[in-house]
Parts: sequence; C-alpha cells; structure tokens
Amino acid sequence: MDETEDVPKDFIKLKSAKLSVDEVSELVVSPYCGAVSLFIGTTRNNFEGKKVIHLEYEAYTSMAETEIKKICRDVRQKWPSVKHIAVHHRLGVVPITEASVIIAVSSPHRAESLEAVMYCINTLKASVPIWKKEIYEDEYSWKENKECFWANSEK
Amino acid sequence: MRCQVSVLYFARSAELAGLRSETLSVPRQITSLQLWEEIVKAHPRLAVIQDQVVFAVRQEYVLLGDQLLVLQPGDEVAIIPPISGG
Repeated sequence: MDETEDVPKDFIKLKSAKLSVDEVSELVVSPYCGAVSLFIGTTRNNFEGKKVIHLEYEAYTSMAETEIKKICRDVRQKWPSVKHIAVHHRLGVVPITEASVIIAVSSPHRAESLEAVMYCINTLKASVPIWKKEIYEDEYSWKENKECFWANSEK
Repeated sequence: MRCQVSVLYFARSAELAGLRSETLSVPRQITSLQLWEEIVKAHPRLAVIQDQVVFAVRQEYVLLGDQLLVLQPGDEVAIIPPISGG
C-alpha cells in the first residue's frame, strides 16, 4: 500500500482562467476510492425571456476561500469516508456554456461522494461571498441566490 | 475612541459607493446598524440597499442591527450584497 496513505485534501481555487473538468477530477482521484462525483455549473443563454450575453463573477476572495474551507470541513464531519474535495470557481467573464464552478469529491463508495457534492454546491450558494452579474443585450442584473438569507426576494 | 478600519465594497454596493475600498475612522465600539449609518453618511447612494446587505467583519457575517462590534485598527469590514456564487 502507498506509504502516504493518501491523506484527505481540499483543493480550493478561484481563478479567471477557463476551468478544466479533467484537472479538477484528477485532483480528487485516489486508489482508495471507487467513486468520483462531479458538479459543473455552466452559463445559460437566457433568463426570463432575456438573452444572456455572458456572466461576470467577482468575489471577496480571502473570505470566499475561508467559507469554502468551512464547507469542506462540514462535508468531512457529515461523510467521514470522503477522501478528497476540489472546488474551483471562475471569476471575471464566463461565456455561455462554459463552467463557472466545478466541484469534485472522491469516496470509497458512491453514495457519500454524490451526497457531498450536492451539499457543497447548495451550501456554496448560501454562504460563499461570490457575486454574479448577468449581462443582457441592453442592461445587466446582479443576481441573488434564493439560498441567500439576506436577499430581498420575498419582500 | 475611534480607529481606522478597511471598508470593502462589492457588487452593487461598489457601484453605488463608486469605489472598492477605503479607510474609514469609526468608533471602536459601535452597533452594526450605527456602523452602516456612518458608511451611508459618507456614501448616501448606499441607502437604497439597506434592506439587502449584511456586513462581514473580520470575515464573519454580521446582520445590520443591535449587535455590538468591538473593532481593532486595521480590521476589514466588507459590505455584502445578496450573494450569487455557483
């Protein structure tokens, strides 16, 4: 068996370059794991009948990384068999169909990594200080996640 | 007693304030709502988003209200409009 025993790692990156599904999945692959689960968030070309030209993301980078680390810590408490976690989020302009976020989790069996990936994206949307601007033909709009408890959506 | 804190603006709040960051002199002990009111005095256009923002003080979320903040020189205070990551 491998001497290092593949210590569980969190791979967190916020960057403006195009995200790579290959790169993110390779980060979490482990000889001890039979499952790698992935979520990819991609840019849609429409919102409420308006044509979306592209998205723009900005972040409170240092706090975003800290909040994502907290999510990873929570994942390991809820699913102790999870091995590696990777969360890559793109900043700046994201063209239509390209990925704005990729989350990958490895675990020995599939149930844990599938559940952990869902938990990661749902919690990211509720707690990580990243903002998305949707650019339309004639205007733009700062989006608000419904998971964000201080958004005004119901008022 | 006052101290200098770093105020960071993001997303819509940066557009309304017209800047991304600045140093502000504020009372060391202040409620989060009073801190917001000091910031709005400096940037009145921010008033329109009062119902939709929270602070992050030393990278912990704080609602606008009665919570007493004890600030240190150089602390980071960020205006956090509704988030939309992912």
